[in-house]
Amino acid sequence: MLSLLGTLAKFAVIIVKNVRRNLLRTTFTSLGTMTLVLVVTLVWSVLSFIDDQTSEKANDLKVLITEKNKSPSRLPYAYVSSLKEGAARAPDDVRPVDYMTWVFYGGMLDPTKPSRENFIFLIGGEPEKIPTMMEELDQLGPADRARLDRAVQRMKEQRNACVIGPEQLKTMNKKVGERIKVSGLIFKGIDLEFEIIDTFPDAAKRYAQTSVMNIEYLLAALEEYKVTNKKPHPEGDAPVAFVVLRVKNRAELERLTAQIGDSPLYTAPAVRCESQGSAISSFLEAYKDIFWGMRWLLGPAVLFTLSLVIANAISISVRERRMEIALLKVLGFRPGHVMGLVLGEALLIGTLSGVFSAGGAYLLINKLAGGIPFPIAWFQRFFIPDQALWWGLAVGAGTAFVGCIFPALSARSVRVADVFSKIA
Amino acid sequence: MRHWLSGLCMLLALSSVARGEINIGDKGGITYSVSSSKTPQVVDDENEIVITADAKRLEIKFKAGRLVYDGKDCGTIKTGDRVAIEPDGKITVNDESRPVTGLVAAWRFFVKHWREFLYGSLAAALALMVLLSLIGKVPVSYNVRNLFVRWKTTVMTALAFTLVVALMTVMMAFVNGMYTLTESSGQLGNVMILSSGSNDEGFSNLAFDDVGNVEKMEGIQPYGNDKRLASKEVFVMGNQTIPVGPGQKPKRRFVQIRGIEDPVVAALVHALSLKPGGQWFSEAGVEEVSGDKASTQNLIQAVIGNGLAAEMGSDRAGGKPLTVGDTFPLADRTWKIAGVLDSSGSTFDSEIWVKRQIAGEQFGKPASYTSIVVRAAGEKEAIKLADKVKASKETALNALTEKQYYSNMAETSKQFLYAIVVVAMVMAAGGVFGVMNTMFAAISQRSKDIGVLRIMGYQRRQILISFLLESLVLALIGGLVGCAAGMLADGWTARSIISGGGGAKFVVLRLVVSKEILAAGLLLSLFMGMLGGFFPAISAMRLRALESLR
Repeated sequence: MLSLLGTLAKFAVIIVKNVRRNLLRTTFTSLGTMTLVLVVTLVWSVLSFIDDQTSEKANDLKVLITEKNKSPSRLPYAYVSSLKEGAARAPDDVRPVDYMTWVFYGGMLDPTKPSRENFIFLIGGEPEKIPTMMEELDQLGPADRARLDRAVQRMKEQRNACVIGPEQLKTMNKKVGERIKVSGLIFKGIDLEFEIIDTFPDAAKRYAQTSVMNIEYLLAALEEYKVTNKKPHPEGDAPVAFVVLRVKNRAELERLTAQIGDSPLYTAPAVRCESQGSAISSFLEAYKDIFWGMRWLLGPAVLFTLSLVIANAISISVRERRMEIALLKVLGFRPGHVMGLVLGEALLIGTLSGVFSAGGAYLLINKLAGGIPFPIAWFQRFFIPDQALWWGLAVGAGTAFVGCIFPALSARSVRVADVFSKIA
Repeated sequence: MRHWLSGLCMLLALSSVARGEINIGDKGGITYSVSSSKTPQVVDDENEIVITADAKRLEIKFKAGRLVYDGKDCGTIKTGDRVAIEPDGKITVNDESRPVTGLVAAWRFFVKHWREFLYGSLAAALALMVLLSLIGKVPVSYNVRNLFVRWKTTVMTALAFTLVVALMTVMMAFVNGMYTLTESSGQLGNVMILSSGSNDEGFSNLAFDDVGNVEKMEGIQPYGNDKRLASKEVFVMGNQTIPVGPGQKPKRRFVQIRGIEDPVVAALVHALSLKPGGQWFSEAGVEEVSGDKASTQNLIQAVIGNGLAAEMGSDRAGGKPLTVGDTFPLADRTWKIAGVLDSSGSTFDSEIWVKRQIAGEQFGKPASYTSIVVRAAGEKEAIKLADKVKASKETALNALTEKQYYSNMAETSKQFLYAIVVVAMVMAAGGVFGVMNTMFAAISQRSKDIGVLRIMGYQRRQILISFLLESLVLALIGGLVGCAAGMLADGWTARSIISGGGGAKFVVLRLVVSKEILAAGLLLSLFMGMLGGFFPAISAMRLRALESLR
């Protein structure tokens, strides 16, 4: 065992010395590897996030109830009371463990200036459901969660209170504590005045441009419109965008889908019941070709280029060291040992460069740059996931292995007699 | 893009004359600097920048061509003009005595003449190669022979160039396809009338009462004896369930439906026609299919965009595009295709056109339009008409030229363009390191050759030129093959979304590999070759003859 370790250590020393011998070439190979691993990391980060969003979970599933035939979906508020019970009629019917109603209220701060800075889009819902039913907010740290809970409490007590994401606040050039008057666009004629009571915590990065309000405020305004104008608001009969339910597992999801689908309560309009993953997947269908291109054209082409860069560097290195390899063989190194040395050299450069590149990207993009600004669908920024460190290692090592396998085989088959006969 | 850049230039020009306390900030990517005792409030979008400082208001409208300062109309300006405000409030436009800073002027010039720069740079790079081979005196055949001798390395290095260039070409073709789509979707003389505050037909809601007599406004082109070229439309989105195999996740697609009052007028306004064999839907918009009492049903007559017909056809066995007479399910009804729009290359390619009343009733807009598209005599008349509609006191409407509407839709294209530029640059950097590696190795292998060349009387600069040329030849070969490979993507179709102004449209676009994209690809390749070859060539130049022969 000890002798094996000793042999490995001896090989490791030779590999490190070989890598250090031509620092210029090692540096260029590493830099080439790092830049290309960076591209792969960026591309895979986007794809992995999308895959995660569209994958079907086995437990703790969210279910979206939307209008079946129309988009954007509009459901009557009267649907909510039965939908939040999962349209359960019999005692043994499935009941969701949690729910949230979503309405969208968008409008302009100054209706005469339709610009991005002037536009605000708010998600209306039951305030107490915000921390549990909106993605990732249940993962906030204790301090951030306490802050969010305080905001929720205030939204419950003060209907015109709203929470606006820090980036949206910056875009609008507003501060916490200010009041804004919004002229309704989706609900034309419903102009609401809000008090900005807080922003989303920095840790809730995906909510940097999101704003939330109490659904009761909008419903009350629609009711007031009806009284004042002696007719309901054109959008007032169906203000709800969708209802989100939470169920324990897939079996419950299937039972719930059947319950809602069979219910006579939802006919005009008819409703669609689907898992959140499936709904997001449908929304992203329009981007399918772009994701296909990223996954099957860009990613593989970069990996292939990376292998080429490494293959080139290692094959040059092997060609230059044919005499040295012959000498090693004279000294007793077997063909497998020589191959191991060449492979080890490439793997060392590839692995270290890959890990360094992915790790650097993780730190720079997540901690300093605040994500990759690539607005696609409703996702504004993408972050490098934790597993990217493994990608860096795997991509670096994998492409190094593929790139150096032929040069390593060529080194293995160097014939001592051929090399020395040429010298002679 | 150009408007933003012009805005930046204008504001920088403005700052160069501002005195007193200067406030500098950044808003929406535009850096501004205004003389003011308070922090200026800036609101900007693609067409307009409004700065309010010390209660004074500077409003720059690029498209409308109006400049308003301190509440006073200061006349017409156009994109690219330089506006300066003197401390005494005097306005000067394009005052040549106030030159903009070198960097800004250079950038403005570049944006204006980017095509000339692109072709000029490519021509210069190719001319440089010819010049180097002429003045270098080291025979080009020596370098080319060397490339053949170590052919494996040559192929691998050239392949790296090829991949980078081919990828960039495909990605740029996608963005170009998006731009082409948005550019070809709007008619120069068309004006889109939307509800007040809406910039997109998806958000617009024009109740019948709100429209008034807008279609009878002066400036709208007549059609026939008593009609005008005004198309009243309702634009809605439906969900269509896509058939999937057993055990697969349920799927659906979003389908854009445009309800129109008069298909003939709409076709004239949008300059679209039907493919041979098709016809517009009837006045009722439905077709009764007789059978026994139970099976008699009304099929909705629809005209479908060419791209959507192909996409929907992919659901069927065989995958052939839908055609006249085919039916498809949507919103619990059966729809029958009466005609296929010859709409390739426009956003209408991904739409279904039906009778307005049917679209409205099926999709929750029974008593409203989303837009009225009217035709003016030309581009200038369209701008005037849009201004007139907005200024009308009878109605509260928003209006913009159709060209402007679709130009706003290019927001997504910009985002993709930026992303592609970043990816291409990073990949190019990786390629440059690969080339450097190869060239340094080539020099190391041929140090004896270099020694012999030096002893034969070749000067250091000739050695430098020789190796630089070798790298450029590699890049040229790789780049040309990459461009050829990238050209294969021309005409590919891809689904995407174009968005801007708050709205979005699902589209099927066609990738367009243009001359500019090929030139940019080749230039990138030569740039990589130049950068990757330069430092190794310098190291070759510095080799001493005797030392290299040892």
